[in-house]
Amino acid sequence: MNTRFHIIIPGIDDESGDRLFGAVKQEVNRIENKLSRFIPDSDVAMLNKKAANESVRADDEFFEIINACRFCWDITEGAFDPTLRPLMEYWKNRSEVDEADEKLISIKDNIGMEKVQIDSESKTIKFDSDGLEIDLGGFGKGYALEKVKYILEDASVKSAFISFGESSILALGEHPAGGSWKIGMNDYLNPGQSLHRFYVNGGSVSTSSNFFVSDNGRLKNHRHVIDPKIGQPVERCCSVSVSAESPVLAEMLSTAFLVSSDEVIYEVMNQYDHLEVIKVDYESGQGIVTEFEQKEADPMVQEDN
Amino acid sequence: MTAALAGTSVLTTSMPWFSIFNNPAAAGSGPSDRVRVGVIGVGSRGRTLLLNLQELSESLNVEIAAVCDTWEDHYQRAIELTEGKAEAFYDYREMIDQVELDAVVIATPLHEHAHQTVDCLNAGLHVFCEKAMARHLDEVKDMYDAHKDSGNILLVGHQRLFNPVYLQAMEKIERGDIGPITMLRGWWHRNTAWVFYDDTGGRGTDLDRLRNWRFYDDYSAGMLTELGSHHFQVANWVLGNQPISVMGSGSINHFDDGREVYDNFALVFKYPKDIHFSYDCITSNRHNGMQVQVLGNDGTIELESNMWFEEFPDDPPSIEDLILSMMEQENEDIPIGGATWIPDGPIRLGGKYLSPEYTMNDTLLYLEGFINFIRKGEAPQKLTDEGYHASIWTLLAEEATKTGQEVFLPEDYII
Repeated sequence: MNTRFHIIIPGIDDESGDRLFGAVKQEVNRIENKLSRFIPDSDVAMLNKKAANESVRADDEFFEIINACRFCWDITEGAFDPTLRPLMEYWKNRSEVDEADEKLISIKDNIGMEKVQIDSESKTIKFDSDGLEIDLGGFGKGYALEKVKYILEDASVKSAFISFGESSILALGEHPAGGSWKIGMNDYLNPGQSLHRFYVNGGSVSTSSNFFVSDNGRLKNHRHVIDPKIGQPVERCCSVSVSAESPVLAEMLSTAFLVSSDEVIYEVMNQYDHLEVIKVDYESGQGIVTEFEQKEADPMVQEDN
Repeated sequence: MTAALAGTSVLTTSMPWFSIFNNPAAAGSGPSDRVRVGVIGVGSRGRTLLLNLQELSESLNVEIAAVCDTWEDHYQRAIELTEGKAEAFYDYREMIDQVELDAVVIATPLHEHAHQTVDCLNAGLHVFCEKAMARHLDEVKDMYDAHKDSGNILLVGHQRLFNPVYLQAMEKIERGDIGPITMLRGWWHRNTAWVFYDDTGGRGTDLDRLRNWRFYDDYSAGMLTELGSHHFQVANWVLGNQPISVMGSGSINHFDDGREVYDNFALVFKYPKDIHFSYDCITSNRHNGMQVQVLGNDGTIELESNMWFEEFPDDPPSIEDLILSMMEQENEDIPIGGATWIPDGPIRLGGKYLSPEYTMNDTLLYLEGFINFIRKGEAPQKLTDEGYHASIWTLLAEEATKTGQEVFLPEDYII
């Protein structure tokens, strides 16, 4: 997945640590081999290769993954859409917008999650158009963390911190010093300072942004974030972080909320407990944080308070 | 093509032969400047060598002036490949008597290498001989002596010596990037009956002995000479030394079809500074593929896959802060989340590529070096010595597996 992975398990003995780390590494590699479109015989690559011409039989796991994407697409009113890759390619080396460009129109006509036909009985997937491609970039890391969580829970790990490239974080149990994990969101314009902190106890935080960071410290707008409503990349330098119990839900929602209206964000938030969302806009030269709060008071949260 | 190889410090130490690419011999384009090469043996490897030489014909003014093979099919194939321009022979002695040549490339069955090489060197020709050098220790020494006595170049086809990945790796190792080397591991695992020709009437027939010569003790030590010798050379080269001793064992446990050579073996070479090189070969399981790993206290190099792995890569500061907070039992807000971190360069499963030039054809580079050395009239002695030591230790490894003894280098073969 072209990033780094850290796992910290406080107080574990050497032998158990080695064994757990081996199991986690194997699982993450397994998932990458399944979901990466760069690996020629991955499930995704095979689907992309064949599904425009024939119904492709998916194994149970892959079928559930595609179903989950479809579900998230549904609840975010199309904001989470793993079929936008052709638009990313289109905008990669283009800055001028020509709405009448036939190529752009043709790409827009041929993508969209609604063109992915999912047959629950035969567990097959078919694309309605030729130009369609599934890209699970906004899903894979969260999914991997979900699976890692099971492995750790199975091994009775009570407390652990896992970071997948900093943008997908899972914090199990409490911080060893007691209390929730205080997961700060790094301010890229003031590195080492937190713009916001999430208090996480057995949950996850996922960040989506239209830029990457590397060790040279520069932000690079990768133009990978496409607003499906207008079919164009999001140009404002911004990020969305979502805290949720499930890492895969956090991952999908952070991907979606980067291009969602506030209304959609609130609607989704009201369907789930313990969902926290922030947006950070770096465009003005400093990170401006917008916190989204669940509008209808959640009795659970009130009790906690 | 060779620009990537220029300017590295190991050129003068571990791989002095690479400097030939920075300082090639002047090659005129006229017929009198042409390097005339004869190819002896045009089987599977010989064909590859011939095709590579043809690639160099214009740029380096090389001519394949003669070809030779005792087997009719290959004899005809050699004529076709050279479009009838090369003189064709069944007997290499006639070839070197009748055709004016500067050099020969030998890719015949192992047991033929020694007398062919010695005859050619003594006839005033430079020789590029496929690995391993010979079937028996005294033949290897005879070849080496003929090279020394005649003053003609003798190079042995361990083509990794000219591989850019290995060049980069040697540089890393010498710079101390992986710390002190503490072990080498290597293996060559395939799932194949290793039958080159299946229309011979089966093991033991005269035809099979001729065509599938790799299976017969008289002609080959099997995978030891045909595969392992490549990696034994690499180990010597990486450690800058030849072994002190070798122990090992081998057997036929799967392809028991009448072949006389092992279908699996395992070896341990002891090197100076108490370093061990463990090596195994199998033909009935391919899961592990082919590899040579250099294990150091600070990192690992996987030579055959062009990768290196840091033992303890630096953690990002936020992760270090988090670990510190756990150890000090202070639950602090640490700015640890945000946009996805991506590496500055290509990366694979925690490792980094040694060289971006990994698709380079090392056989071609080796032959390019050979032609240049011919023009200069000499090649770096270290290059010949690498071939010599690898060949000697391949045969000593065979002895170890056959006797069950720890085998040391006999004095007669010290050069």
